[in-house]
Amino acid sequence: MNHEIVPQLGRQFRPRPASATFLQVLLAGAVAIALAITGCTKKRFDENDTTLNLVLRANVKGLDPISANDQYSATVISQMYEGLLQYNYLKRPFALEPKLADGMPVISKDGLTYTFKIKKGVRFHDNAAFKDGKGREITAEDFVFSWKRLADPRNVSDGFWIFDGKIKGLNEWASAVKAEKANYDTPVEGLTVVDSHTLAIKLNGVYHQLGYVLAMPFSAVVAREAVEKYAKEFLNNPVGTGPFMLEKSSDWVRNSKITLKKNPSFRTDPYPAEGAAGDSEKGLLADAGKQMPFAEKLVFSEIVEDQPRWQNGLKGNFDWFEIPKDNFEGAVKENQIAPELSAKAMSLDITPGLDVTYIAFNLLDPVLGKNKLLRQAMSKAFDTNTYIKKFLNSRGISAQGPIPPGIDGNDPTYKNPNAQFDVVAAKALLAKAGFPDGKGLPELVYEGLSDSTARQGAEYFTQQMAAIGIKVRISSNTWPQFQDKIKNQKAQIFGIAWGADYPDAQNFFQLFYSKNKSPGPNDTSYNSPEFDKIYVASLALAPGSERTKLYLKLRDIVAEDSPWIFNAHRLGYKVVHGWVQNFKWTEVGYDYPKYIRIDAKKRSELGAKL
Amino acid sequence: MIPILFGVTLLTFMLFNIFGGDPAQRFAGKHATTEQVQSIRVELGLDRSLPEQYLFFVKQIVTADYGRSWASKQLISTMISDGLSATISLTAPAFFASIFFCIALALFAVWGRGTILDRGTVVVCLALLSISSLVYILGLQYLLAFQGGIFPISGWDPSWTGRWEYLYLPWIILFVLSLGPNILIYRTVIMDEVFQDYVRTARAKGIAEYKVYAKHVLKNAMIPIITVIVIEMPFLITGSVLIENFFGIPGLGGTLIKALNDSDFPTIKAFTVISALVYMIFNLLADVLYSLVDPRVKLG
Repeated sequence: MNHEIVPQLGRQFRPRPASATFLQVLLAGAVAIALAITGCTKKRFDENDTTLNLVLRANVKGLDPISANDQYSATVISQMYEGLLQYNYLKRPFALEPKLADGMPVISKDGLTYTFKIKKGVRFHDNAAFKDGKGREITAEDFVFSWKRLADPRNVSDGFWIFDGKIKGLNEWASAVKAEKANYDTPVEGLTVVDSHTLAIKLNGVYHQLGYVLAMPFSAVVAREAVEKYAKEFLNNPVGTGPFMLEKSSDWVRNSKITLKKNPSFRTDPYPAEGAAGDSEKGLLADAGKQMPFAEKLVFSEIVEDQPRWQNGLKGNFDWFEIPKDNFEGAVKENQIAPELSAKAMSLDITPGLDVTYIAFNLLDPVLGKNKLLRQAMSKAFDTNTYIKKFLNSRGISAQGPIPPGIDGNDPTYKNPNAQFDVVAAKALLAKAGFPDGKGLPELVYEGLSDSTARQGAEYFTQQMAAIGIKVRISSNTWPQFQDKIKNQKAQIFGIAWGADYPDAQNFFQLFYSKNKSPGPNDTSYNSPEFDKIYVASLALAPGSERTKLYLKLRDIVAEDSPWIFNAHRLGYKVVHGWVQNFKWTEVGYDYPKYIRIDAKKRSELGAKL
Repeated sequence: MIPILFGVTLLTFMLFNIFGGDPAQRFAGKHATTEQVQSIRVELGLDRSLPEQYLFFVKQIVTADYGRSWASKQLISTMISDGLSATISLTAPAFFASIFFCIALALFAVWGRGTILDRGTVVVCLALLSISSLVYILGLQYLLAFQGGIFPISGWDPSWTGRWEYLYLPWIILFVLSLGPNILIYRTVIMDEVFQDYVRTARAKGIAEYKVYAKHVLKNAMIPIITVIVIEMPFLITGSVLIENFFGIPGLGGTLIKALNDSDFPTIKAFTVISALVYMIFNLLADVLYSLVDPRVKLG
């Protein structure tokens, strides 16, 4: 290589030193550029600006309610589109109340017919899809059209499950559409327009969760004119009835930012006058009766990385924001917000998430499927408390069953006997299962994702199992591979989570119902005739003590059979700026921005110091 | 070009079918029934035989119409055109600035080879190269944007006048990231030339040293330099996923990663074909440039 002789030759050709003048010019140029750049940075907050600045952890895919299958798209969609019902913003446990419905539905004695009156005078956003560009009043017919759209197989909506097999004639209509034997003018027996503002829904069977699904964005009302005008581009041209609207398509910068403006023709919608205990003391009822929304504008920024999200949050660019795992130690001290953040008028909100994380066993597996004692041994060998401490910064509650706190069926005093960490008892169970100290047990395979956090979690699991003599190999997967293995019952053990679609234990217990096996939500292929019988019985019962008793029985059955190792119910920690009024986090309603009021003057003052 | 494109498309198609999972199950959602999954499979065209699916892929290439994304249902052509504008704005200035700066610095280093300037350059370059790109991104974002307030932490404005303020810091980082590898490569390439006979001859003729470097050494080093640049050029299109994600720049890199995570085959197909075409076009461009800088190279 020529490099070897460089030192000898190098001395002959020394570079001439740069002249002082040149250096001075260079320095001056650098300073000028720095000043120019600094001068370009944005000014802080205007004291009349009531814009709500929110951040999303992932990108929004589209703005069509029938595709609101992820919480980020659903959040944005829910500002523009509305359904018949909504959750009361303040009440806990969660309670449904009318949204576009004029009162709660009248339910027939047999529970099979729901009759909804629809609010009069509610108009779609002004849009070129309408005559003269003026949004027209919604009618019962709009709901029938919207729900047919959800059922239409050509639309490939993964939200149809909310009505699948529930509404009389809707599945048949969908099949006929697929066979090109029906269209949107073909009537559906279970969806009757009684008059322009009355809709009757006839069910195939009792469906106590109907109210919940009518509060989900999938069931929001859309305008037929807009769907027909924009066709496949409807997902980029939202026309709903909500408090905010996409004024022009350029307000949505894909994968970056969505700006929504207040709907000037939004109906009368006052802030709630009643809340949960303690809400009044927290000032959450100060705006009772005032017209919503309070913000003139909503800006959703999409930032997928933790650190820029956190830094922007601290600078006041977002009105509230989550705490990344890596920043938790500095932001939270003894479950209180750190003094340096508190000094900047930031506060901490801790809300239980309606979810459960778990390690699932494939019950079709010849080793794990038929050996309940083996599963129980593994469950007892897994220390969830340490997992929560190490991997969730203690932001979680040890799960004793599938039902998270805050939902009927969760008993905070209950201790699942198979979920109590006890290595000695686990070893005894393992011996009873036929594998003393793991002898004779083949190596098991844990399927996980390939990112570092998932990998560390998998390592933790293998260590826990090794402590009782069980060998576990980790198999890392991409997300598509991981899903493929689970849905095709090729995964032996896998770690995953379930978030509630609505606050009803049924949404969690369905994960164990044998008829829901993969590709449905029962990924373990759990099959217990006793469980199925009680689950079906619970479906027929309205919320109440009788149903709660059945839910507790269901919990006990899965605790005993241990198809999962119950891991954690996560807690959401958020930092909220001092200028945010009426903040009460909700895990099920997506329309919270309309309730939030920004104290613009306070933001201007506090923001200047951030 | 056509055989290469054929090979690339066939390989992509095979890899997707082996490792891509079942998109129908993914898009059917968590509550899907077997019937719904099958119905989606039909809607996506996955019920057709593999040769039929491949022929459909070929048709998409010929018509340059990849339809809509399976995941977002957005038009793929729009996704690409939106992302391309952001990506080029991000990568091109840093890329070309880096080329000129690194070649100039490499020339200086070789000129002063063996001196503290040269050795210092090599040490600094190796140090720059040894540090993870995440350190630059996190460190500079924290220091210059969060603490210093000199730049916005992240964000994007699609207008041509508004986007620049969001790009200064990403440019600086991309520029710094490119220094280590580029200077070392260019230095090696130029170093190979300075010991050639023609350089000695030029010096013997009494040609000024700067002319030897500028007119002779640099010109002869251009062929390997062009090769290096061409190899790096697809980066202009594929962008830098990390930079895009950390600075909230809606470029093509992030779009491609999302498509891979979502088993969004139409988008993956479009990206693969475009990337292959870009590679081929830049290779062709390299051949043309070779002939321009070296008359001995003739285009056949």
